[in-house]
Amino acid sequence: MPKCLINGKEVEFEAGKNIVEVAKKAGVEIPVFCYHPGLTVVAQCRMCYVEVGTPGKDGKVQMIPKLQTACSTAATEGMVVLTQSEKVKKGQKATMEFLLLNHPLDCPICDKSGECDLQDNSFKYGDAYMRHSEERRTYVDLDMGPVIQKNMNRCIHCTRCIRFGAEIAGIREMVAIQRGNNTEITTIDGKELQTEYAGNYADICPTGSLTLKDFRFHKRAWMLKKTPTICEGCSRGCNMEIHHQNGVLERCIPRENMEINRYWLCDEGRFHFRDIQNDDRVTTPMIAGAVSDWNAAIAKAKDALKGKKTAILIGTDLTTEEAKLIKETASQLAPGAQVFHFGTPGVNSVAQDGDADKLLKRKSKTANLNGIETLGIKPLESLSGVQAVMAFGGGRAVMPELSGVSPSNVVAAGVFFRSKSSQFAAVLPGLSFYEKSGSVTNFQNKEQKFVRAVASPKGCKPLSEILMTWVHQDKSGVA
Amino acid sequence: MSTEKLYLQHFNDEARSLDYYLQKMGGYKALKKAFSMSQDDIINEVKKSNLRGRGGAGFPTGMKWGFIPKQSPKPKYLVCNADESEPGTFKDRDIMRYTPHLLIEGMVIGGFAIGAHHGYIYIRGEYTREAKLLWAAIEEAYAKGFLGKNIQGSGFDFDLTVHRGAGAYICGEESALLNSLEGKRGEPRVKPPFPAQVGAFGGPTIVNNVESLSNIPFIIDKGGEWFSGLGKLERSGGTRLISVSGHVKKPGIIEVGAGSVTIRDIIYNHCGGVLGDRKLKAVIPGGSSAPVLTADEIDVIYDIEPLMKLGTMMGSAALMVVNDSYCVVKLLTRITKFYAHESCGQCTPCREGCRWMEDILHRIEHGHGKEKDLEMLLDIADNINGKTLCALGDAAAGPVMSFVKKFKSDFEAHIRGGKCPNA
Amino acid sequence: MAKILSQKFYDEMKKLEPRYPTKVALLLPALHQAQEETRWLPPEVLDEIGEYIGIHPAQVREVASFYTMYNLKPVGKAHIKICTNVACALRGAEELVEHCEKKLGIRCGETTDDQKITIMEEECLGACGTAPALMFNDDYVENVNLSKMDELLARGLNS
Repeated sequence: MPKCLINGKEVEFEAGKNIVEVAKKAGVEIPVFCYHPGLTVVAQCRMCYVEVGTPGKDGKVQMIPKLQTACSTAATEGMVVLTQSEKVKKGQKATMEFLLLNHPLDCPICDKSGECDLQDNSFKYGDAYMRHSEERRTYVDLDMGPVIQKNMNRCIHCTRCIRFGAEIAGIREMVAIQRGNNTEITTIDGKELQTEYAGNYADICPTGSLTLKDFRFHKRAWMLKKTPTICEGCSRGCNMEIHHQNGVLERCIPRENMEINRYWLCDEGRFHFRDIQNDDRVTTPMIAGAVSDWNAAIAKAKDALKGKKTAILIGTDLTTEEAKLIKETASQLAPGAQVFHFGTPGVNSVAQDGDADKLLKRKSKTANLNGIETLGIKPLESLSGVQAVMAFGGGRAVMPELSGVSPSNVVAAGVFFRSKSSQFAAVLPGLSFYEKSGSVTNFQNKEQKFVRAVASPKGCKPLSEILMTWVHQDKSGVA
Repeated sequence: MSTEKLYLQHFNDEARSLDYYLQKMGGYKALKKAFSMSQDDIINEVKKSNLRGRGGAGFPTGMKWGFIPKQSPKPKYLVCNADESEPGTFKDRDIMRYTPHLLIEGMVIGGFAIGAHHGYIYIRGEYTREAKLLWAAIEEAYAKGFLGKNIQGSGFDFDLTVHRGAGAYICGEESALLNSLEGKRGEPRVKPPFPAQVGAFGGPTIVNNVESLSNIPFIIDKGGEWFSGLGKLERSGGTRLISVSGHVKKPGIIEVGAGSVTIRDIIYNHCGGVLGDRKLKAVIPGGSSAPVLTADEIDVIYDIEPLMKLGTMMGSAALMVVNDSYCVVKLLTRITKFYAHESCGQCTPCREGCRWMEDILHRIEHGHGKEKDLEMLLDIADNINGKTLCALGDAAAGPVMSFVKKFKSDFEAHIRGGKCPNA
Repeated sequence: MAKILSQKFYDEMKKLEPRYPTKVALLLPALHQAQEETRWLPPEVLDEIGEYIGIHPAQVREVASFYTMYNLKPVGKAHIKICTNVACALRGAEELVEHCEKKLGIRCGETTDDQKITIMEEECLGACGTAPALMFNDDYVENVNLSKMDELLARGLNS
């Protein structure tokens, strides 16, 4: 591998990599704003200045007199890079000063505060004193739809959002209009963002110019606890981080995984937790739509299945561990019951799954189709001849048409919603991905484990506990 | 003093036609000669001529052509930079409206030399009349087989298209020009790659100024050595069309052998002296981005290297003369306003810094300056200079640094007096 | 969507199309051609151009707003753009601007109430040897003095 010298330290690097990346690998931070590893390099913000020298034919290193931008300069064999020379520091200070000339400095009321590149870099590389005393530039913001809140006054014109739209989301809806000092980054005439990946605009914005409406004024970033997890929205299994405080989920952001989702997350996955954290969710045992207790509900459930030809349906939105446990317990739940899986209408198998768009979304709207298929569980074809159903689901799997089976002979366990289960014999409330640990296998055969982020609502129980109670209730008579 | 002129005697309305060009200027003779030469020979001839880019950077044209890859999977392009937007410059306009065939012939030869089959003339949008005249000349050339398929039986095909800009100084920067040609915002590109590798529509591209390309027929016809001999200093060949404006009695274009005159010669011998016979205050020697010179500095030879030694530049050979009737603070404010207005807005120092300097200068001009403003202006200019994505930052910083240093007392008088002393 | 631009527009574009390897390259010529027809470029015209070229309307807007020659607001019948850059300023352009503003009772960038004249300050027009210069619609007028200016204003007001 070729080597270069960064601040006097010899660093090996992969040919073709730019200095920002090479330095990062060597543990040297070079501050950036416009640079993003997933987007084209534009070298616009001028924050990543470095001094660069290359060896001439005689082997002597010739320093380039002008500061270079590390993002747009590829490391070469024998290159000498200085990231903190006096010249570099002056350049960084200058850029910070320029960027803050027109910035409102409204950090106290800005959602980005605490996780803001502008704030962080200002603290590390800027000056505490401001020389500018002219009038500030201001903009009037038009609405951009339900996902993103825009505040152009905070914008530093890094154009990450424009490039994300054009290069990743595949739509040139965010554009720069006017030019020079008056350049405005915007959609036109207050048009709503059309992309289904709009949340990423907020993630990649290095300042508080584009923030999530959903998260607006909810919490300060530094109050949040962050737990890595896997998105349960489709069979891609995007890596994400769930942010929460006191057991309340606040937001999800993507977590880099170059093999699965790279840096991105779709809005459906990002905001799925809102569907779970919903008043409609069943969070106490229910009998025929009425609140009950565990003992009564399980007794009622058993009663509903008793002596009937039963199908056990396993949602492909469950973890592999849960599905395995259900499969193993099936004969004790309903002797002679057949076991099927269900999830996304029209996508009954891995073979039927496929990309739903050019970026991340998959046709299978559940996370573990592959994992559950691997357990040898067959997809539900038909319920003919079936008199009762016991369905296990995690909130994403779509209940199949129960033609021929009376709702009063249906028992549901897991994440279910009142509006869709009020006629069921019993609902035994279980846990969402955010409330449990487990593993799922995505369409690429990658098994991914995740851990519990928050405690479940009081009335809910893990499936293992529900099954255990079911099996042992008869023996002890007490749950 | 060399009296040889290549252009000036033809700068009239009769010269425009193809007939005139063929009969009076030996038109398209060089093209025939070029077709009998190899591509390398043509490029070598241009190298020998010491022709240096007439757009502003002064880069040797032959060397630039040499950068184009011989083989390329993508089509190559020759683009003529006719954006002529550096304030003070107006020579290319005359070439295009009076001797358009000179440019067309130069482009066909250039296209042949670098292996391009399509050329674009990117002309600034305001030159509507010149664009129409160019189109008309191009049609004449097509009709007579000087453009199009199998030009003059050579087997070489070359098409030429006039592409109008729409009001953006920055499109004179070659990579911004290429973006604009491609239907995008005229924002400069990150370099490398340079246009010779990845230029217009992704293909290797050479971008040359109007006057540079118009010199090509002369060079091929009479030889690189002859052309080089027109220049008086070692490294600059040919004649220079100098745009002289401002406070001289006879503003306009003069043509002299490169390096054959001083600024004093230009003002007093060629242009009739300072307007109103007033005292000379300042000279901006190479378009408004060139650092300013004082009246004491005008004995410099007007060519690339001597001006560089003085810390300024020849740029596009646009000389602007200022007498003592105009306030230099006001002048610098106006210059800085221009660069702030023309900043594309991509990179931070230029987008933010140019406007900041404009605001400060505006304050000083109107008597609201503070003592520390001057030092701050110099520091801001230093923070822009050499740190931007393209040369516009330097273009904005250079005037500020030079005016503030060289006319410090004028600025101080505004600050201390609370108004313009001449107001 | 009903078409606003004429057949001539589409014919001109068809003529130019083979001269460029991409269709997006037609954007600047298309905006020029459209403006010749409509004097200024309302959103509907920009959208029509976008549809013709096959790009998102926002992309048309971002390009059109970059260049000062495209009028994104209505302009008067006489559009007078006075260069006030260095060479013209040295030769009295500011006086011309003041004169116009006073005479018309509007500021630079504004249009007279009867929609007849728009005046604007312009950057360097490349006519510095014949300064001060201005553009009267598409035409250059050079060596302008106050009496020439008055003639132009009269021409504008009588249009």
